[in-house]
Amino acid sequence: MKKIISVLSLVLLITAGAQAGNIKIVTTTTDLKSIAEFIGGNKVSVSSIATGYQNPHFVDPKPSYIIALSNADIFVTVGLDLETGWSPQLLSSSRNSKIQKGSPGYVDASDGVGLLQVPSSVNRGEGDIHIYGNPHYWLDPLNGKVIARNIANGLERTDPSNKAFYEANLQTFYSQLDIKLAGWVAKMAPFKGSKIIAYHNEWVYFERRFGLQIVDFMEPKPGIPPSPSQLVKVIREVGANKIKVIISSPYFTTSSSDVVSKQTGVKELTLATSTGAFPSVKTYFDVFDYDVDQLIAVLK
Amino acid sequence: MTHNFIRGKILPATILVAALVFSNAAFAQVPVSKADSTANDSLLLKQVEQQMAAGATTDQPAPQQTRSGISSNPDIGVVADFRAAYTSQGKKNVDAYLNETELSFQSVVDPYIRADFFLSFSRDPDTHKYGATVEEGYLTTLSLPAKLQLKAGKFREAVGRINPVHPHALPFIDLPNAYVNYFGEEGLNDEGVSLSWLLPNKKFYQEFVVQATSGAGESPLFHRGDNNRFLYLGHLKNFFTVNENTSLEVGLTGITGPNDSSFNTNMGTADITYKWKPLKLNTYKSITWQSEFFYSNAKYTAANTQNSFGLYSFLEYQLAKRWFLTGRYDYGQKPYDKTMHEQAYSLSAGWLATEFQKIEFEGKFTQPNFQSDYGQFFLRWIFVIGAHGAHQY
Repeated sequence: MKKIISVLSLVLLITAGAQAGNIKIVTTTTDLKSIAEFIGGNKVSVSSIATGYQNPHFVDPKPSYIIALSNADIFVTVGLDLETGWSPQLLSSSRNSKIQKGSPGYVDASDGVGLLQVPSSVNRGEGDIHIYGNPHYWLDPLNGKVIARNIANGLERTDPSNKAFYEANLQTFYSQLDIKLAGWVAKMAPFKGSKIIAYHNEWVYFERRFGLQIVDFMEPKPGIPPSPSQLVKVIREVGANKIKVIISSPYFTTSSSDVVSKQTGVKELTLATSTGAFPSVKTYFDVFDYDVDQLIAVLK
Repeated sequence: MTHNFIRGKILPATILVAALVFSNAAFAQVPVSKADSTANDSLLLKQVEQQMAAGATTDQPAPQQTRSGISSNPDIGVVADFRAAYTSQGKKNVDAYLNETELSFQSVVDPYIRADFFLSFSRDPDTHKYGATVEEGYLTTLSLPAKLQLKAGKFREAVGRINPVHPHALPFIDLPNAYVNYFGEEGLNDEGVSLSWLLPNKKFYQEFVVQATSGAGESPLFHRGDNNRFLYLGHLKNFFTVNENTSLEVGLTGITGPNDSSFNTNMGTADITYKWKPLKLNTYKSITWQSEFFYSNAKYTAANTQNSFGLYSFLEYQLAKRWFLTGRYDYGQKPYDKTMHEQAYSLSAGWLATEFQKIEFEGKFTQPNFQSDYGQFFLRWIFVIGAHGAHQY
């Protein structure tokens, strides 16, 4: 028996060694994929489970996702319970001990993010409340740096021989992001304090970064579909605050915003919440290029 | 003969697998400083030396589970199933009751296994008294090699698409007639071991499951014997991604086990599920068409072997974010006498308030050839507090 185990362990060790240089990363969302590609360069192959136009709370745990997870060296998750409805089941079905929570290949991208809207008590009567705080933190581009740092840490744990390569890519990513961020902030500066309505409570990090003010949501409570009384409330608020735009995401229907728009003339804007939301949004940087340009056009 | 042969193969395999779990566990543990001459430890030392040389352990510690470790309690949830029913037959034909309260406790045990417990408090339909049972309680390995996963304990067996699912997650209230004829209201739920293998197929998902259990306690077709005769099951699951919005699953199951006449029942089942769920608006629209076919060969006496057949097929249509409509057709022959058969039509409507609450209505019309036709109406209100894990796709 011992002999079998030794041979088996040796085989496992050799296969693990042979994989170095082609690190397989599976991310839950496309933004994490885009950033992982920046940091990992040609040393990694990255796939994302969710697409950029899909609601990341409600991804169906299809068995086909298990194939990629079972062969992955690194798993990157947004964390903060964003994927709680689907990723734990996929992970435990993956039969891959390298990427289980607590293993070196498990990367929680939210580690070190300054969290907003952390509830002091949890009551589902308030709708879909996230107990650790609002999980849509990637929509502040500065948090992209934290995500990149976490991914680089995961890569360096898994593939320490290429540490210098990942660190160099990380620094390049930081400096590119700094330049880009200065541009986005400058473009949004004239519209600081603009009041807007959002469909779902997923823009708080974006709102803080770019100085917008979200007055209300189309959803009466997070995850609860817009009710007639909520629409009436929003219609009044649009009038009272001279609100120019309702922002939403590709995965929500526009029927309720259409009603408000018809009543008040407010514009509706479907923004990119993730990389790949629209064909032109190909990288993490494109998300903000797209959203900033779209917002400026309607806020002018 | 057959079962002895299988037992001869499966039990040693199980022992080997169990040995591998623990050897693997020992292998993955943190280095021990004292030198040991065993081959296992020198391999471990080699691996540690390699990692030290590469500087892997010095720079980046493995992530700490800071925010998730608020308490070490398992995830706890309660699912309640309140029902009202009317049937066109019988003296007391209207009823309202708390059909079931299910308590779930789920957690990872250590880096090598996780544990899932589902305790059920339900009302006996005859005595109207509540009783507690362990609906499921099992461990699942997380670190077996060769894409294997072992489950041990009491679990819902891997027959087709309905049996592994807890009834509260189904889109209808009653269970298909054919399914109940073969497995009973509680389904095929048994104690033993289950080994699943994820086939190395990169084109589509393929999983093969073998289960050896002590024999079903409450199934009409299988019986727990007082000797060493076990129930064996094999299931092959094939899942095809047609495109990003559409998937097809085809499954085949074979079961053999002792029945209450101390002879054997052999069963073959096939399931096919077509799902359309657009990725972009997956919370608003979907269509599922699912069918299962059951064939049983049950030997009751040396001279009496019954072959019977049954099926169900349902179409579930999601009208809007919260509204679901499901139509189902059932056909079933009684496994002990195939000349007795019935067919049924049912229509269910479900309203899902949130992920934690749903209300469903169902009307069903049954036409048996051995008694007069009858109609039934059911109402079910499911509500959940605490943690509630994802359901299978």
